[in-house]
Amino acid sequence: MKENVKVFKTYWEKFGTLAIFVVMWCIFAVVAPPTFRSGSNFIQIITQSATIMLLACGEFFAILIAGIDLSIGSIVAFTGMITAKLMVEFGVNPFLAFLLGAVLGGLLCGFINGTLINLTGVHPFIITLGTQSVFRALTLIISNAQATFGMPKVFLQTFGGLLHGVSMAIVIAMIVAVSCWFVTTKLTFGRNLYVLGGNRDAAWFSGIHVKKHVLAVHTISGLCAGICGAVMAARLGAAEPNTSIGAETEAIAAAIIGGTSFFGGKGKIPNVIVGALILGLISNGLNMCSVPTFYQNLATGLLLIAAVSLDQAIARK
Amino acid sequence: MEALVEMKNIRKEFSGVVALDSVSFDVRPGEVHLLLGENGAGKSTLMKILSGIYTPTKGTILLGGNEFSELSPKKSKEMGISIIYQELSVVNDLSIAENLFVGKLPTKKWLSAIPVVDKAAYMKKAEETAKRVGLTKPVTTNVGQLSISEKQLVEIAKALVENSKLLVMDEPTSSLTEEETKNLFKIINELRSSGIGIVYISHKMKELKEIGDRVTVLKDGKTVGTKDMADIHSEEEIISMMVGRELQKTFFGEKDVEYTPENIVFKAEHISRKDGKTKDISFELYKGEVLGVAGLVGAGRTELMNAFFAGESYEKGDIWLNGKKVPVGTPYTSIKNGIAMITENRRETGIFPNFGIKENLVLVNRLLKSKWGGFYGAIHPKWDQELAEKEREEMQVKCSSLAQMITELSGGNQQKVIVGKWMAANAEMIIFDEPTKGIDIGTKTEMYRIMRELAQKGIGVIMISSEMPELLGICDRIMVLNDGRLKGILNKDEVTEEKILQTATM
Repeated sequence: MKENVKVFKTYWEKFGTLAIFVVMWCIFAVVAPPTFRSGSNFIQIITQSATIMLLACGEFFAILIAGIDLSIGSIVAFTGMITAKLMVEFGVNPFLAFLLGAVLGGLLCGFINGTLINLTGVHPFIITLGTQSVFRALTLIISNAQATFGMPKVFLQTFGGLLHGVSMAIVIAMIVAVSCWFVTTKLTFGRNLYVLGGNRDAAWFSGIHVKKHVLAVHTISGLCAGICGAVMAARLGAAEPNTSIGAETEAIAAAIIGGTSFFGGKGKIPNVIVGALILGLISNGLNMCSVPTFYQNLATGLLLIAAVSLDQAIARK
Repeated sequence: MEALVEMKNIRKEFSGVVALDSVSFDVRPGEVHLLLGENGAGKSTLMKILSGIYTPTKGTILLGGNEFSELSPKKSKEMGISIIYQELSVVNDLSIAENLFVGKLPTKKWLSAIPVVDKAAYMKKAEETAKRVGLTKPVTTNVGQLSISEKQLVEIAKALVENSKLLVMDEPTSSLTEEETKNLFKIINELRSSGIGIVYISHKMKELKEIGDRVTVLKDGKTVGTKDMADIHSEEEIISMMVGRELQKTFFGEKDVEYTPENIVFKAEHISRKDGKTKDISFELYKGEVLGVAGLVGAGRTELMNAFFAGESYEKGDIWLNGKKVPVGTPYTSIKNGIAMITENRRETGIFPNFGIKENLVLVNRLLKSKWGGFYGAIHPKWDQELAEKEREEMQVKCSSLAQMITELSGGNQQKVIVGKWMAANAEMIIFDEPTKGIDIGTKTEMYRIMRELAQKGIGVIMISSEMPELLGICDRIMVLNDGRLKGILNKDEVTEEKILQTATM
């Protein structure tokens, strides 16, 4: 009996999130109109989830070391705005603008988060709550609270268009996800994060430089948000200063539904991706059933609580 | 005279381990009863039974004419017992007066209906009590602004407010200056003459004669005896009551250690800490020896190691490992250079509870093989597996598989995994901080054997321990620390428990 529980536990840790996804899909397949079951709708679900995936990958790192990053929604708006401004107002080449605005901008925002956390010793929740406001305010200041339009076609197509019928957002999200997966499973740095998340004091005595890793984690989280900023701007065709407000909560939800432990040290990128897909699935399925948006929030909230409770219950067995 | 409290034939077992065995202890009104014994002798367990935190396995407690087989913290308080622990439990953000009445503020009826706090009443009582214990600061002062000795007076005043008849003081003078100690003794004398019974736990031999009426010595959970202080004529008499237990099996090396310069494994010179917890300590560690570090809690043993291993509060001093100067920096630099430290709190700073045995074994090795200060390197599952298997074999870790979670292992086996982790990281010197804390006798013996084997292989072994028999049983030399200073290094031929205690309190 006890052995069976153990075996179940191992399988649940590996495939639990996927199981939730499959079960939910089956429920919608029965309840929702037939168009839900079509292949093109499945691709639609994935496409809808792409930006959450990008953010959830970064957020995963922060949660993995028992921290959190609340500023990513604001970083999306900030980097999107800079990228757009560089192209529209300064005529910078779209790819250079992406590198400077999205990549470098995101890295810098994350670097600031990490440095502040290390210097002050204040919990990341508070620091990133602060920078959330700061980055959002900076976005509003540089944009004068106006959206920026008229980005070059090349940019819109590269980051918001289609590649052989597949959305570029998905292609980018997959590249980021695979890189993150590689880093967390194949490199010492990634494994160190699990060590750090498991027992921070023991990690220090085992020779892991805690502060450097915290800095790196937040820089990665900022980078993911920065890339998401470019994708977001390209998809909307405009850099909106008020975009992605509250996106961090969705990213956290995706990571947690994907089995990432809020206490750190546990979690896997593929599951986080599935977690993001589950969020996309819910909104898509409920849309198909013509359920209003506020009910969708209700469903997402309840699912989050249910998934984590189930996880706890199984872990305690 | 009838006793305030009488504990009779108390026995306490913790999952089969006997902590107290038919211990009897009583306190009379108006006396200071000294309770002595080494670390782990059972003093705190006995006091925790008195305060109702632990339930005795056997035995009775006679208190206020009633016989109890167990107490609860509430009951104990009601019966007039107050304990002042070494870690004071005052609330820093409240005033002195508020601290005295935490949870029991007097109330009065407002408009003869609504109960409100009667500030005038408790302020008056607070002022009276503060005066009685010699607190000169106004009772509206925040406790956070008081010195440690003043906080202690607040604790005593708290007990007086509760009308305590029995006051237990656990090492009250451990962080007091001489002047403050004198003042405390004055107050203790006043309490004594007002008929309050006091249990006084201390390690400071000098003050015992001055303050005590009777003394009870515990050893290995048993009462050695209770004596009137008037019958005791020297410190040595007390010390010999505390020690002198049967020696356990010894684990010395086959060959004598050669104390020659070319045999030095590790050398520390003039290590000092900014916070003053280590003051100018120099020592050498020789090939093949196990160097013990003795001293009471708070002597600065762990602090010394942390200063050069982790750079904690490091001020100055140099270290050499096998003739090569090692910079003092972070644990990473120390580990990279071959120094490892096995910390005291296995659960808090040793194991990684989210991992299985394999990961716990290989993680430092992997870190050292990586570039950029442990950041960049590839994971090789096959190497990890081989390394983990080798270390499990070597350390004889009892487990079902390498994938088993480390939290499922016994304390001793967890400890073996931790040692294995450092062996896998090619440590040239390992510092063991209380390595046998909380592990069973069998595994203890195995730990001794492991340490001895490491020493034999030429790895430097330092062992911090609070257990005298263990120090005497396996160490070639013992460094005795007190108050951050090195008091002396004793050789195994000359060392006895008495000598260690004498050196420490010198």
